[in-house]
Amino acid sequence: MVFEELKRAIIDMDDKMCKQLVNEAIKSRIAPLDILNKGLIPGIKEVGELFARKEYYVPEVLLASETFYTGFNIVKPLIKSQGNVKKTKVVIGVVEGDIHDIGKNIVRVLTEASGYEVVDLGKDIPTKKLIDIVAKEKPDILALSSLMTTTMMRMKEIINILENKKLRNKIKVIIGGAPVNEAFAKKIKADGYGKDAVAAVRLIERLTSE
Amino acid sequence: MSRIHNVISKQENTAVFPLVCADHCAHLLNINFSEVARDGEKLAYVLTYGYRLYGYDMVLVFSDPYVEAQSLGCPVRLEPFPCLLGPKSDKRLDRTGEIIRAAEILKNTLDVPLFVSIKGPFSLASFLFGIGDFLKMLVRNDKEARYAIEQTTEFQKTYIERLLSLKVNIFIGDPVASTSVISPEMFAKFAYTPLKVLITMVRDKGLLSGIHICGETRPILHILDTLGTDILSIEDITPETRTLKMGGVSTGTILYGDTNKISEEVKSALSEPNLIVSTSCDVPVDTSPENIKTIIRIAREISGN
Repeated sequence: MVFEELKRAIIDMDDKMCKQLVNEAIKSRIAPLDILNKGLIPGIKEVGELFARKEYYVPEVLLASETFYTGFNIVKPLIKSQGNVKKTKVVIGVVEGDIHDIGKNIVRVLTEASGYEVVDLGKDIPTKKLIDIVAKEKPDILALSSLMTTTMMRMKEIINILENKKLRNKIKVIIGGAPVNEAFAKKIKADGYGKDAVAAVRLIERLTSE
Repeated sequence: MSRIHNVISKQENTAVFPLVCADHCAHLLNINFSEVARDGEKLAYVLTYGYRLYGYDMVLVFSDPYVEAQSLGCPVRLEPFPCLLGPKSDKRLDRTGEIIRAAEILKNTLDVPLFVSIKGPFSLASFLFGIGDFLKMLVRNDKEARYAIEQTTEFQKTYIERLLSLKVNIFIGDPVASTSVISPEMFAKFAYTPLKVLITMVRDKGLLSGIHICGETRPILHILDTLGTDILSIEDITPETRTLKMGGVSTGTILYGDTNKISEEVKSALSEPNLIVSTSCDVPVDTSPENIKTIIRIAREISGN
């Protein structure tokens, strides 16, 4: 019952209700992992589906993501040691010169909700910094976002640098954002293109199961 | 009358204008973009160069999307390319005067329809608050969102008045109003009326107007078609509209496509009986000039003009 209510709170973008339900569930000795897997994650996944079906748009997804994190941030410290996180690591960020991070944030929440370890670099990431982090974090997936025609070429630049530094064959690079498409992804030798957040998560699932 | 006017009035079928903007022209001339964005004379110079190089059918005075936002207090970085750094602050830097100066020079020197790009009040309001926070406000506090849009509409009315006194045409970009971002209902509730107000101002002066919305527009196309604008610059040009459409070649194709791919997209676009052949978004900075010339050449060959 509480799980259904939690799911509903996320779909309804009700932060207060979500927080209250998570705290009550913890007090009732419901396992934090169950709160996450049976309430919070199904809620945000349903939001992702509503977005894919064009029943929800970006404003609703942003608000529902906040509601998800209201609950997630309470249970996360309690379950960290229980090994819920998949071993796949995803580094995600918006390329240098671009501050449009809404799409990236939605991909992040759905990826995290799908159990992947996500390292979010934020927006307007200097290329050198991004490469250094990739070298250090050794992710399985590098997800790059760009929303402008002036910044989309950074993605190619990043892939070229990864090749030169011999890091490219160790990771899959996926891209997304308004000006890019499947053909552009192929041209710059990315491993895939996600047309929206739901597609991006499916792409990560496909690439990491290969 | 110009070819653009003739295509709008259906006396001709096709015109061509890939969305070539100041950044691409400055790049070709090896001029630092930030100099161009701050100086109306340099802006006019690079746009003149682009027009003379390519010979398309109109010129768009577009420096970057953040001119008005910066005038209203948003911090903007211009190096190496324009980037909006945050929501509105107290520090204002007005570059609208430079845009007007460029428009004035181009109006006096080029014999081609001249459009000046301005932002739609909805997108402009989103820049002032930060796009994410503004989008959340649409759901949580629609009164405040409406008030913000009213303020940006008033700002743009004043800006348009100044531009219309030069007898230039107006192109309104409203990227955040795309249904890739907001629902058709939200578009109707928040974005439609401000656009209508601005377009009516342009029409009342007997000048031309265009709307550019990138991303998904199909669900709102029937509403866009009632705005009374002369041109709809959109990504998907296949649905039927009463308003003249502009588009047909994807950004990826102009950037990376070869002659065959460009030719294929232009041919496919020209199955539309009445069209301004263009790119679906602005031409990326380092696009090969040959690709831009190819679009124009093929469109001219097929349409016979």
